[in-house]
Amino acid sequence: MRRPVFRWLLVPILGGLLSGCVQMPKVETFFVLTPESAQHRALQTRMFETPDEKELLSASAAVLQDLGFQIEESRPQVGMLRAAKERGAREYGQEIMQSLIFILCAIGGKAVITPVDVHQQISATLVTRRSETDASRFSVRILFHRSIWKGDGNTGDQHIPPGQQSLEVINDAKIYQQFFSKLSKSVFLEAHKI
Amino acid sequence: MNARTSLLILGLAVLLQACVGGAQKPPKELLALNDAQMKIRSFQTRAFDANDQNKVLRGVVAALQDLGFIVERANGPMGLVTAGKFGPNGRGFVELTVTVRAKGKEQTEVRVNALFNTKPIEDPKIYQNFFAAVERSLFISRG
Repeated sequence: MRRPVFRWLLVPILGGLLSGCVQMPKVETFFVLTPESAQHRALQTRMFETPDEKELLSASAAVLQDLGFQIEESRPQVGMLRAAKERGAREYGQEIMQSLIFILCAIGGKAVITPVDVHQQISATLVTRRSETDASRFSVRILFHRSIWKGDGNTGDQHIPPGQQSLEVINDAKIYQQFFSKLSKSVFLEAHKI
Repeated sequence: MNARTSLLILGLAVLLQACVGGAQKPPKELLALNDAQMKIRSFQTRAFDANDQNKVLRGVVAALQDLGFIVERANGPMGLVTAGKFGPNGRGFVELTVTVRAKGKEQTEVRVNALFNTKPIEDPKIYQNFFAAVERSLFISRG
């Protein structure tokens, strides 16, 4: 007679655990500097020996254009540029996984189609700032991030509409190195790591 | 459908419409300032001993970048910055509006409004952390 009671107890425990998995992060965590903050800062920033901020900004805009970005906003008074480019986001891995899940569920008698990434917008926010210790040096900090949109799918009983969006910051060191090496060539200056 | 039923339906429709009309009216206190709002305003505002508005604005932008925010807009002459940040795995979204204005001849005032999942943040600790980051950014810039 004991077993069914345990079984009923298991349901709320599992439910509690699952709801723990999808818990909303605390708002305090959004305003705290983490150990990674300094690493990201170093990755995203280079110093350039030039007293001309406008030259640095227009060279940065030219490099972003070379990389296929459209400049969406330029604010020389603040030393800021914002650029974006649209690209497809299809990946073989996701599509193979989608097919595998479809086949497995089809055996079980359900037509499950998991939504996969179909489109992405890659954005860049660039900010220049004069060094206080040396007026002939400017720092350039750039942040690459992307928004990804999923296509439609099916749970087997219900249609999943397309357009589910997610956002992620790009922390791949190679992408930042590539950008800064192009920018140094563009302004004929050597970029110094901070 | 007889005449009495039609009349009843018509009467009910008029009554329901009146209810909807009542709900659409904006609350009277929509633009009124109360004590709680004044308190929140004091958390959201801090004056810095710096007389260069543009320098403080750039310090705010740098602090936001350090905290991992994505700066969406920045306007130098207006002293305005808007920024946003997604939580881990895209859960939760914080958006900020910061204004930077000269306060007298020696100081610059920074005011920030923060929303978490479109609801205003009213915890003073959050604003203290933000201003600590701005202070650090201005200090690093000086050093």
